[in-house]
Amino acid sequence: MATHFKRKGKRVLGVGRQDAIRFFFGGNAMISTFVLGAICIFLAREAAMFFPQHQRELEVFRLTGQEYTNFVIEEMDEYTEVKSLTNQAFYQEMNEAYGIQRGLVDSFGALSGNLFDDGEDLIEELEDARDAVDDADEEEAKTLAQTELDGIQAKWDNFLQAELGKADRTAVDSFGRLGKKEWQELLDAMTAWDPVEDQPPALVEAAKSEMNKGMAAFDAARMLIGSAGSELSKLRGELIKVTTAIKDEAVADKSSAARKKALLEGSVNAATKEDRARLKEQAEKITIRKNFPYAERITALEGSREKHKAAIAALEADLKPGIAALPTDLASAQAQDLVSRIREKGPELIAYLDQSLQESADWRYDQPVSWITSVTSFFFGKDWVTNSSFHDFYGLLPLFTGSLLISIIALIVAIPFSLGAAIYVNRLAGPKQQNIIKPIIELIGAIPSVVLGFFGIIVLGEALREISQVPWLSWVPGFPMQERLNILNAGLLLALMAVPTIFTLCEDAINNVPSSFTEASLALGGSKLQTVMRVVVPTAVSGILAAILLGFGRVIGETMVVLLVAGNQIAIPDFGLGVGVITQPAHTMTGIIAQEMGEVTSGTIHYRALFSVGLVLFTISLLINISARRIIKRFGLAA
Amino acid sequence: MVTTSSQPTDAAEIASASAANNPNPIAKEDSMIEVDDVSFSYDMGKTNVLKNISFNIPAGKVTALIGPSGCGKSTLLRCLNRMNDLVDTSKVTTGQIRIMGQDINASDVDPIELRKQVGMVFQKYNPFPKSIYDNVAYGLRIQGIKNKSKLNEAVEKSLQRAALWSEVKDRLNSSALGLSGGQQQRLCIARTIAVNPRIVLMDEPCSALDPIATARIEELIAELQEEFTIVIVTHNMQQATRVSDRTAFFYLGELIEYNDTATIFANPSVRHTEDYVSGRFG
Ligand SMILES: Nc1ncnc2c1ncn2[C@@H]1O[C@H](COP(=O)(O)OP(=O)(O)O)[C@@H](O)[C@H]1O
Ligand SMILES: [Mg+2]
Repeated sequence: MATHFKRKGKRVLGVGRQDAIRFFFGGNAMISTFVLGAICIFLAREAAMFFPQHQRELEVFRLTGQEYTNFVIEEMDEYTEVKSLTNQAFYQEMNEAYGIQRGLVDSFGALSGNLFDDGEDLIEELEDARDAVDDADEEEAKTLAQTELDGIQAKWDNFLQAELGKADRTAVDSFGRLGKKEWQELLDAMTAWDPVEDQPPALVEAAKSEMNKGMAAFDAARMLIGSAGSELSKLRGELIKVTTAIKDEAVADKSSAARKKALLEGSVNAATKEDRARLKEQAEKITIRKNFPYAERITALEGSREKHKAAIAALEADLKPGIAALPTDLASAQAQDLVSRIREKGPELIAYLDQSLQESADWRYDQPVSWITSVTSFFFGKDWVTNSSFHDFYGLLPLFTGSLLISIIALIVAIPFSLGAAIYVNRLAGPKQQNIIKPIIELIGAIPSVVLGFFGIIVLGEALREISQVPWLSWVPGFPMQERLNILNAGLLLALMAVPTIFTLCEDAINNVPSSFTEASLALGGSKLQTVMRVVVPTAVSGILAAILLGFGRVIGETMVVLLVAGNQIAIPDFGLGVGVITQPAHTMTGIIAQEMGEVTSGTIHYRALFSVGLVLFTISLLINISARRIIKRFGLAA
Repeated sequence: MVTTSSQPTDAAEIASASAANNPNPIAKEDSMIEVDDVSFSYDMGKTNVLKNISFNIPAGKVTALIGPSGCGKSTLLRCLNRMNDLVDTSKVTTGQIRIMGQDINASDVDPIELRKQVGMVFQKYNPFPKSIYDNVAYGLRIQGIKNKSKLNEAVEKSLQRAALWSEVKDRLNSSALGLSGGQQQRLCIARTIAVNPRIVLMDEPCSALDPIATARIEELIAELQEEFTIVIVTHNMQQATRVSDRTAFFYLGELIEYNDTATIFANPSVRHTEDYVSGRFG
């Protein structure tokens, strides 16, 4: 009877078909697990090596005095911001209050410039002819020269007439500051313009003096603010030079042993005798030190502290009266805004300068750098600067903020759309609409992200900018937008990418709400909408939350779109603009890896810094996925 | 005991036999619900699940619908509050259902308004995953009542009427899903009567409960009939005798016999009814 129960089918090397199939799938699963593990280990290893290396870099940063220099650099940066705000306010005001005057002055400049270019030869002839008349002693020669001059003068007059006749108003007055009337007046006045004397017409002179007089007070304040930092700026330049030199020397010193060895080897193997001698001589010149004498080098910074103190004092001494002297009643609302921002920023700047001065006074070149600094200055560093001649900074914050802002915008836009569509499709639409809407939304997910990015650059960016320039929308924070590629643009595109994910999962969650709840609500006299809002959505909320989290994971990991559309400016966006911050460009964690990974040498600190960013991203994604799973498990009812 | 010859195979045959003897018709004036020649289909009229049903349900009484599984009891019940509207292809093919004289399938009837008057308790207790309080207040809230003291009062009263108040009064804000099955079903009854309907439909309300919980619900039904007209579907003959005043027996979509409960069980006029109530089939 045993034959009844024998295995059927052929066996190769003792392995049956069922076993083979089992091994195949089991093997696949094992390989996936293995690959994931390998990726984790690799990422973690490279990233882990970053921190000690970073610590050493920071040590050098301190020992060479570059860290001290950086105090001055940052002080200058803060001050420069106020300075540039002042300049912006000044020109805004000038354009608003003296637009016509400025138009006249600039248009005259442009017109005369064109005339000088096009009538170069004629003007020279004219000049020569006049000189000839002046130089002629005799009566006869004088009349002769005069007739010649008259001829040339007539020729010039004709030329001038013709040139003015065909002058292009939109090209000359490119900002459109002049009305038709002013333009005509300027042209009329120009007919009497003499290129040799090159005196502006009275009209232009008057405009100029009116403008200068009106703006005099503002200009004086601006000058005061603008020149306040000149000493600090000088100190900055000096310090950068000195400390960079120390660093270069220290870096060279570090490689001295290796260089010497190479030269000596070369000297043995070189072809000619002279070469051998030369290489040997060079090798001998290199001294190998056990420790680079930082203490000795840092003396170059002596006196800087005093200078620094004096520079800050000088800056504050000019800045305060400068800001106080800024005019209050301005014609331009934008200038008014800027001035009030300067007034707010002024005291902040001074407080910052005082604090920075204090900190720099406490700074010591030989204080050890702890590993905690290495970690915190990565996670909370405000700068990501690479390939700099001064010092490279690896601060995550600008990239993290960029990624976060873009993702938040994407979610804010995507959530209502996806949830609304999910509710509509699952509970309100007929089967026909369902069959159309669902595949369409799911198809959005099939658009390659590079295509979306392209769309963002060409279409969305342009459209957003045009919209932002509509005058009656100027109250919207951040409008008009300066940049076409910015956080908002990238966020909107990522929203599009998040919609299919969130929609599908939300729809699942809603679909899983037991119909007995719906029936109970309807039987109590609830309308369809009430039932959805009060029973279905609250019941599905855990599933919806998980959907949103997974959507978040989707957008924060997206690379191509942000690389193309976010504007790639590595700086923490200016939150001083409020919500308007989203119209600024930014860079992201994914974007930076994609952009810089191809160019770095493996094993360098830059390379490892990028891996550390990668690890942060990986951790975020992992946490998001784990929490989504947790939510689903914990409130499993509808997910 | 069962002989094939005594088993009528065709429901129509049985129905025609019974149509003649309906010894205790309810006067039109006393009836809350009039079912008048109703046929109903789930597939746009291709096949009828209910076939020419006519009977009157009296006000202020408990009426039981009995019959073997699949004979259309639930369907008929769900016609009374138009829950069958949820099935797109469903259709009343003939006849009228009138509640308080009004044809409920007329085009100017809003099913939402109808359901406020005709509440329903389901076979499987289905409280919302909300607090006990929110469950009871739900029906009032969707009617736009926000007044806190009004809601408090209504919630307390409904829970008391559903004989649940003393058990839950200290934990009104905890989840309804933490209650026992019987308590959950009584909560569903409280939720239904909180909106003060005229009629309460119950579809096998005890089928998922143990005998003790069942007994409590049956007591409750007896108390509630003073205020509401109750229509109850039940599978359980004893239950029908215990709680109902009148009983309708259905078979294969037709109404076979309708009479006082006592008469139906003690002295049915149709042979088939007798077979069913005495447990010979079904
Ligand atoms: N939603 C529905 N769609 C189609 N057919 C249904 C639906 N509900 C019930 N039916 C059918 O209608 C008939 C009566 O069902 P039902 O009213 O539930 O019977 P009962 O409650 O008496 O057991 C059965 O044949 C059942 O298959
Ligand atoms: Mg049923």
